[in-house]
Amino acid sequence: MSGSLINHVFLQILTGLQLGAIYVLIALGLTLIFGTLGVVNFAHGALFMLGAYFAVIIAGKFGFLTAIIAVPFLLFIIGIIMERGLIRFFYNRPHTDQILVTFGLAIVVQETLKWIFGANNIPFPLPRWGGGILKLHEWLPFLEGFVAYPKWRMILIFVSLVTVAALFALLQFTRFGLIVRAGMRDSEMLRFLGINITRRFAIVFGLGAMIAGIAGAFGGPVTQVDPEVGMAFLVPSFLVVVIGGMGSLPGAVLAGFMLGMAISFSAQYSAIQQIIIYLVAVIVLLVRPRGLLGQKGVMEE
Amino acid sequence: MSNGAYFSCRNINAYYGESYIVQNVSFDIAEKEIVALLGRNGAGKTSTLRTIARAHEPSLKSGEIYLDGVALHEMRTYQAAQHGVQLVPEDRRIIPGITVEENLILAQTEGKPGWPLERIYQSFPRLAERRRQEATTMSGGEQQMLAVARALARDLKLLLLDEPYEGLAPVIVHEIEAILREVKKLGITTIIVEQNALAALKLADTAIILDTGEVVFRGTAQEVLDNKELRDQYLAI
Ligand SMILES: Nc1ncnc2c1ncn2[C@@H]1O[C@H](COP(=O)(O)OP(=O)(O)O)[C@@H](O)[C@H]1O
Ligand SMILES: [Mg+2]
Repeated sequence: MSGSLINHVFLQILTGLQLGAIYVLIALGLTLIFGTLGVVNFAHGALFMLGAYFAVIIAGKFGFLTAIIAVPFLLFIIGIIMERGLIRFFYNRPHTDQILVTFGLAIVVQETLKWIFGANNIPFPLPRWGGGILKLHEWLPFLEGFVAYPKWRMILIFVSLVTVAALFALLQFTRFGLIVRAGMRDSEMLRFLGINITRRFAIVFGLGAMIAGIAGAFGGPVTQVDPEVGMAFLVPSFLVVVIGGMGSLPGAVLAGFMLGMAISFSAQYSAIQQIIIYLVAVIVLLVRPRGLLGQKGVMEE
Repeated sequence: MSNGAYFSCRNINAYYGESYIVQNVSFDIAEKEIVALLGRNGAGKTSTLRTIARAHEPSLKSGEIYLDGVALHEMRTYQAAQHGVQLVPEDRRIIPGITVEENLILAQTEGKPGWPLERIYQSFPRLAERRRQEATTMSGGEQQMLAVARALARDLKLLLLDEPYEGLAPVIVHEIEAILREVKKLGITTIIVEQNALAALKLADTAIILDTGEVVFRGTAQEVLDNKELRDQYLAI
């Protein structure tokens, strides 16, 4: 390969990762909530959007570092309140009811934000340490000439990878994680073993909301911060969940980055780029009806 | 109020949605007693055990259940379990995707623990050998051992065994029987449901026969063994 082709492909991959990063974070929460509680949370895009709005407001008043600590915490609390106050009443209802109520909630959040902040994009300035570019050729000898990438986008990729790793570590290596993983397989048996699994699942909902908040705080500066952004990200993120396999966390990560790549590499063909995610979804689901890493029995009872 | 029996269920009625399955079932059990709960397929044995374990379904609509003076009918599933009810369910319900040891650890995460893992591994060397193995890759007999071990890992007052011999080869059934005889020596109050009524009666002191969700007989295990009419009518043995 010629040097310029390597440069080009490398930058496309980075762009794919960066686009995928937000989908991955939103889809992780969606699939985690689906896998544990069996609820399809169409308000998850709204949680991401709330994260972005909170971040822009808090960052404006107290600085960005305060925002990235406060926003995930706030979203965790909002997630718990949402689960205890509304979602739990829909556990034993058909998926269609769950979709209606969560979708309705998303609209309420959207309209409320529109009412308070107006319909326009709120500019989200980067913190001083996050602006500018990274000169990648200084770090990576296989790149030729001058190759640079926006620093913030690299931070976004990094944050999403760290979040994924932290979530997997939590689920894989802690007692809480063992209970949650087991609960995803047979929650009733855990109750027979004296475990209050409902409480764990409420925390899981909070974690899903928290991850959406992280996506909003770090993704906000590269996406829009307007009342439509929640819905704009919900649909592709939901597709990511389906492509990855409902309830599969590794599937969501894989599919999220895959979709990011697909969008990035089709960028030169704008006609295809509009529909590429649906194209990928159709192909994957034709070949693997349960998605890439979906398990038997999920949503098939 | 509790009537003084160690375990007692009184006029319990439970439903799956609209279908009325457990119909006015009442019985008492003394401490350390082992009861065989018998009846045809579909008689309501599993449903009765699940009602006692306070499963979500069938849902208990009326009636009272007491264990050691405490009202189980006011509890949720996990609370009943923490109070010492331990269901070893039909099909064993070993949790897939995790190891044998993790299945045992889960049994000890909440409420008072029973046997420590060392004691479990001493009594079940097969499980000790396979502690790091994914539990559902074990044979049916080994999974049944794990299901019983998982119950013993908890501090239990009432053991509910639903078809512990189901689907097992005769040799394995003998192994599980030997384990249950050991459990019996521990003096744990037990209700055993078994399609293989003879095997259950060998272990039990008392027999209760259910038919279409109602108690139709209560007596000693020996009385059932001696009463051909009763066996023909309700048990087909
Ligand atoms: N989940 C369920 N929903 C509706 N009906 C059920 C359910 N489980 C069992 N039943 C019905 O309840 C009755 C008793 O079943 P069960 O308690 O499983 O009997 P047994 O364990 O004695 O074979 C049967 O008629 C069965 O069809
Ligand atoms: Mg049964």
